[in-house]
Amino acid sequence: MHETSIVNSIFRTLEQEFDAEKLHSMKGIYVKVGILSNIEPRLLMNAYEAFHLSNPNYHNTKLHIEMVDLKIQCESCDYITDVKNYRFLCDKCKKPSKNVIQGEEMLIHKVEFDD
Amino acid sequence: MSIVKSTKAARGTVQCENTNLNLLKANDFVADIIRKEMAGKKTLLVNITSSAGSGKTTLMQQTAERLKDKLTMAVMVGDLETERDAERIRETGIQALQIVTGGICHLEAQMIHQVLPEYKLEDIDLLFIENVGNLVCPASFDLGEDYRVTLMATTEGDDKPKKYPRMFLTSDMMLVSKSDLLPYLPFSVEAVTKDALEVNHELEILQISSTSGEGIDAWCDWLVEKVNAKKEA
Repeated sequence: MHETSIVNSIFRTLEQEFDAEKLHSMKGIYVKVGILSNIEPRLLMNAYEAFHLSNPNYHNTKLHIEMVDLKIQCESCDYITDVKNYRFLCDKCKKPSKNVIQGEEMLIHKVEFDD
Repeated sequence: MSIVKSTKAARGTVQCENTNLNLLKANDFVADIIRKEMAGKKTLLVNITSSAGSGKTTLMQQTAERLKDKLTMAVMVGDLETERDAERIRETGIQALQIVTGGICHLEAQMIHQVLPEYKLEDIDLLFIENVGNLVCPASFDLGEDYRVTLMATTEGDDKPKKYPRMFLTSDMMLVSKSDLLPYLPFSVEAVTKDALEVNHELEILQISSTSGEGIDAWCDWLVEKVNAKKEA
């Protein structure tokens, strides 16, 4: 259900950004999805396939999903930690931190068009 | 014979545009509009999230009973179907409107914005959004709230903060609800507190029971304090 809204947002976002003619030649959409975004890549792909059934216009457009790990940057010592088991603690100085620098994103970071 | 070179790129090449488009850009834009409107009207907006059946509506009823002489509160409540929760809250004498999402598992800022004109915000001190019962999707959608409060019922088991980290990371307060059932359940308040604080060390935690009344005074004091702070801001 959630993934269906995400697919709709992908196209709503692109339709705001590019004109219809350009979107017609769209070949690939590259999204970056953080581990904290609660998006399951396989379900997103299924929702994307389902979207095509009712929107044949984008039939030739492929979706590429890149999952991104969770990182925090310590406010005290600036050290960057890969968060494991959702323990939001700096590896170096052991202080807790909520300063997520990677892992929350839901981004379209590249769009490919056929010339 | 000369070959005329085309200035156009060869056919079949791919043109790329690097973008940085946030998928929830439209939602976050509307959430900011709500935040500004609430700041103007000095209404405190609190987003209540939790799994289904953890006691959100009962807490709304209890909170309305306790606070109705002290301040004006109203509720908007999201569910996939039915008007039942809004009816239950209206029985306590406060304004409550139902947002029927028709299958969508979370509330989006646009839905809140559409309902806002139904409320006389200048007369409302505290507006609750009772979100759809779900610890997953609602975590990603900013509704323009001042505070996000997550209920964690003792009947759900104490392992939820690590299973649904985004919700606990983005919350300001965790209410361990149905605490009157603790003697009968294998639920450790210590374990849930430890896990929740590992995810979000700034999270405030209260233990409450809408049935026995435990912690409800502390919860209402917290709300009154936040309402007053917003009035003075």
